Amino acid sequence: MSELFVGKSFPRADAEKVTGKAAYINDIKVPRMLYGKILYSTRPHARIKNIDTSAAEKLHGVRAVLTGRNTPNVRVGFLGDQEPLKKDKVRQFRDEVAAVAAIDEDIAEEATSLIKVEYEDLPPVFDPIEAMKDDAPLVHEFDARGKPRRNNILPLPWKLIAGDVNKGREQSAHIVKDTFRTTWVHQVCMGASGCIAQFDVNNNLVFTSVTNVPFGGKDRLDMFLRNIGLKSSTRILTPFVGGSFGSKLDTDIYEFIAVLLAWETKCPVKILFDRHEEFTASPPRQPAIATVEQGCDKDGHLTFRKVDMILDNGAYTSWGATTPSVMSIPVSTLYKVRNIHFEATCVYTNNIYAQAMRGYGNPQATYVVEQSMDQLAEAAGIDPLDFRLINANEPYTESPMRIKITTCPLKECLQEVKTRIDWENKHGKRDGRGVGVASFLHVGGGARVYLSDGQGIIMKVNDEGKLTIITGGTDQGQGSETIIRQMAAEASGLRYEDISIVLGDTEICPWDVGTHASRHLFMVGNAILMCAEKIRAKIRDLGARWMRSIIEADLNKKARRDPDFKAPQIDWSVLENPDNLDVCNGEIFVRDDPENPFLRMKIARVVRKAHLLGTGRGEMVTAEAFYDPPNEMIDREGKGNISCCYTFGTHGVEVEVDKETGQLRILNYVAAHDVGRAINPMLVKGQIYGAAIMGTGYGLTEEMLLNAGRVMNPNLLDYKLLTAKDKVPIDAVIVEPIEPSGPFGAKGIGEPACVPSAPAIANAVYDAIGVRIKELPITPERVLAALKQKEEEGV
Amino acid sequence: MRTFEYLKPASVNKALALLDLYGDQAKLIAGGTDVMVQWKKRIISPQVLISLRNLAELSFIKFGGGLEIGAGTTHRALELSPEIREHFPVIHDAVSNLGSVQVRNSGTIGGNICNAAPSADTAPPLLVLDTNVRIASTKGERTVAIRDFFRGPSRTVLQTGELVTLFSIPAPLPRTGMAYSKHTRRKAMDLPIVGVAVLLSFEEDLKTCRKAAIALGVAAPTPMRAANAEAFLAGKPVDKTTLLEAGKIASEEASPRTTIRGSAWYRKEIIRVLVRRTGLICMERAKGAARS
Ligand SMILES: Cc1cc2nc3c(=O)[nH]c(=O)nc-3n(C[C@H](O)[C@H](O)[C@H](O)COP(=O)(O)OP(=O)(O)OC[C@H]3O[C@@H](n4cnc5c(N)ncnc54)[C@H](O)[C@@H]3O)c2cc1C
Repeated sequence: MSELFVGKSFPRADAEKVTGKAAYINDIKVPRMLYGKILYSTRPHARIKNIDTSAAEKLHGVRAVLTGRNTPNVRVGFLGDQEPLKKDKVRQFRDEVAAVAAIDEDIAEEATSLIKVEYEDLPPVFDPIEAMKDDAPLVHEFDARGKPRRNNILPLPWKLIAGDVNKGREQSAHIVKDTFRTTWVHQVCMGASGCIAQFDVNNNLVFTSVTNVPFGGKDRLDMFLRNIGLKSSTRILTPFVGGSFGSKLDTDIYEFIAVLLAWETKCPVKILFDRHEEFTASPPRQPAIATVEQGCDKDGHLTFRKVDMILDNGAYTSWGATTPSVMSIPVSTLYKVRNIHFEATCVYTNNIYAQAMRGYGNPQATYVVEQSMDQLAEAAGIDPLDFRLINANEPYTESPMRIKITTCPLKECLQEVKTRIDWENKHGKRDGRGVGVASFLHVGGGARVYLSDGQGIIMKVNDEGKLTIITGGTDQGQGSETIIRQMAAEASGLRYEDISIVLGDTEICPWDVGTHASRHLFMVGNAILMCAEKIRAKIRDLGARWMRSIIEADLNKKARRDPDFKAPQIDWSVLENPDNLDVCNGEIFVRDDPENPFLRMKIARVVRKAHLLGTGRGEMVTAEAFYDPPNEMIDREGKGNISCCYTFGTHGVEVEVDKETGQLRILNYVAAHDVGRAINPMLVKGQIYGAAIMGTGYGLTEEMLLNAGRVMNPNLLDYKLLTAKDKVPIDAVIVEPIEPSGPFGAKGIGEPACVPSAPAIANAVYDAIGVRIKELPITPERVLAALKQKEEEGV
Repeated sequence: MRTFEYLKPASVNKALALLDLYGDQAKLIAGGTDVMVQWKKRIISPQVLISLRNLAELSFIKFGGGLEIGAGTTHRALELSPEIREHFPVIHDAVSNLGSVQVRNSGTIGGNICNAAPSADTAPPLLVLDTNVRIASTKGERTVAIRDFFRGPSRTVLQTGELVTLFSIPAPLPRTGMAYSKHTRRKAMDLPIVGVAVLLSFEEDLKTCRKAAIALGVAAPTPMRAANAEAFLAGKPVDKTTLLEAGKIASEEASPRTTIRGSAWYRKEIIRVLVRRTGLICMERAKGAARS
């Protein structure tokens, strides 16, 4: 391919991050700014009898003390099941009971400690299975509309049924069934949560936010403003953001509280979380208890798959409760299986609630499906990798969920892993070393979860021939600014270094659904292609109109300066038709005569000419486009082609288990990924490395330990995020089938690589020592306990 | 608002005078890697912090067969000392794997011992080395054996007005091997689930145990010596079998707790394994020391 920019490993464009110049929410101060602090519940489930704020109000420097009793009762959240400040009842330790705005953080902190809350304890329920029982304490007595609730089960009937599972069972030669558990893990962004809320003179809210969904966030805040009685609207500004991994997808409670404090004080109010608060009061990944049953015929073809999930929803509802919409993709479509039954039940408990996290339910679902695949392969007496090859998805097929698979190199990924991990020699030894695999599929071409899955873009070419791109997307660290430049340079014909990007202001930027679902590159790339085509056409059009006069003026000037200069013979007619012209790398020239120095000039010259015509009929080179892809929303049966394309991949892991301590070491890790086309191979590998390490942490070390609703390890010492010293030797393999619907053939790669790590590791542990750990994380303690149990059973 | 006064005396004597002046209202701070964490968590709220940072009097490593270490010596300085690496590898094992380089650049051995956490990484090595702790106050000096120094989690024999000036370690017997093993969930920034230090001195046959010292971290309310296991090994030929038995005995002597960092049964299990493995490293090291 003769591309100049796409497919090349351009270094990251956002160098201000490593020079310390980037301003994060922590760095931003505005005049008259106050600091907000939140007082959280000290009980998991209790009635609030009284809140005494008098001492806090008297403290010097305090400007406002708010509770559910002196603020409007406005419901927020996706099911409207909470108010920003809890009035009558607390349902979890992170419940926001009061909030303070003060002139500095220390005073705000001290003021919260002066607030006295009187509680009357209620019986709590922490186990989702207990919570489903008829006599369990009710976490919510009423729903958002005030109707009495009879139990703790959420009105979210997640269900996907296709084919006939009973028939599938009858056709099976082998069936396996087992239950697996995953727990809470946190996104642990380097940059913690924070915002600044301020009202302008017209009572419009200006909200500096770390969101990766600026327009969705604006909608939610606009509705909140209306509900507290304001007719104004919101402008969202996003600074540099230190990671999201899903955590910045919903508008969080502290953000509504900041708005209330800003409105009350008529001053800008900043709330910034510390690491402790980040762990205790920002929602992590959804835990799940999953029972999976599947079967295959005597040749190893899958006959049916049935998965039942119970999700501990915690006390309120955020996006965690919607992750079954994505779980249904691997459950129904990872490998070829026609008969599917998937159900997920979300249950209120007095635990913390969950949000989105990289993979959006896929890590949990793949964890159970891929372990069950190994169990079934063993039952059928087939090598687990061959078993996956037998059942691997094929390109251009439709799954029972009505997912339309386009390009699909799953078999190739499995083969890459098989060779590179030396499967033939390493598998099946049971000598303390073992290998395991797991595959995945994930949306790779957007995800229509709202009526629109669109992204708007505006381009303008300015005087010096530089291109400004204005987009509604956000960057939370994934490198968008680099790949946007690469794709825009390729598509528009302007130079990479002449492209600048404006994002992060809902007042300026065109509308976008949000940077989620691994969609940014796919969406912005397609929007760039649409918009750049218009820009090219305009430049060629201007070229056809003005190149001749510019060239003639040049030639005349040369002739005046150099009497010996002989003007070349030029066939001017070739310049008259814009179709004869082309733009590339900042220059405009004749397509069939690109080397002719007389018929070639910088784009800036024609654009400048158009601006400075001197006739009163000047023109600009601007264009806009809105790319809304041809994918579908999931229908009432849970079916539909939610994405334009799907990305596949396989991870293979070799582990060594210390049978005396239960510790394990990863000796080799191969991550083969279908990315359609790598726009920037270095950034693709960065995504794969980072996500696979995150997935390894999910598999081995990370867990939020909850004891009776309280997070016991809200710090980075006891929340075992892997460190640089724990680095895993990852061999990232990029497979490029060139996706027709993707920009330059690309699919999304933001989330996928954290999906298959945990099951691949669990399968490798089984191969090494013959015990299967059915709970995450796979701690040395669990491994040793399982080994001991096996020994005892063996006797 | 929570504040404190930060005083930075120029000598140990001045620090002692300040300690006398402020009594229980004061807290000593060396590297601050424990003190500041505890202050933030509101575990302590002293009115005055008396800093020992950069006091040259407290920061030294003196080697002459035995070893003297100033209480204000940073873990990083110990880690980089060739004498310690060569002659007291058990200390090197502990300090080179403590926290991170940043923490080791700030944190001191005195702070680690005086903080008296059951998980303190330098405690088991100092215990097997029969270290003496030198304590100063305006009234004079006293010396306490490290075995007697710890009184409970976060509790030591130090009285108000006292500070630790140095650790004095006698020269090990000839043909001695020593090592420390730290069992963790990850490779950096982690406290031990269990820490095991072993020191074995051999007779001339390099087999018979002349002296055994075994110390355990996170195995009891304070870092402890496993006296029964030591007694078992003394005079016996050291090999896999006797070390295995010593591990079992040490594990029985231990009384670890179940916490979020590990279950009691698992800690006992690891003690059993690590005593044996660390003992084997000692044998190797003793042979190496005898050869050179
Ligand atoms: C991120 C992180 C990781 C860590 N990892 C480890 C680890 O892996 N292993 C480990 O063991 N510890 C670890 N720690 C704990 C800590 O770093 C060590 O205990 C360190 O040695 C403390 O030394 P310091 O000089 O910072 O002590 P400080 O915090 O200054 O003081 C600690 C205590 O000792 C007292 N004190 C200090 N000097 C004297 C003296 N001369 N006389 C009397 N009292 C004194 C202080 O009053 C205080 O009570 C870690 C800490 C952090 C923050």
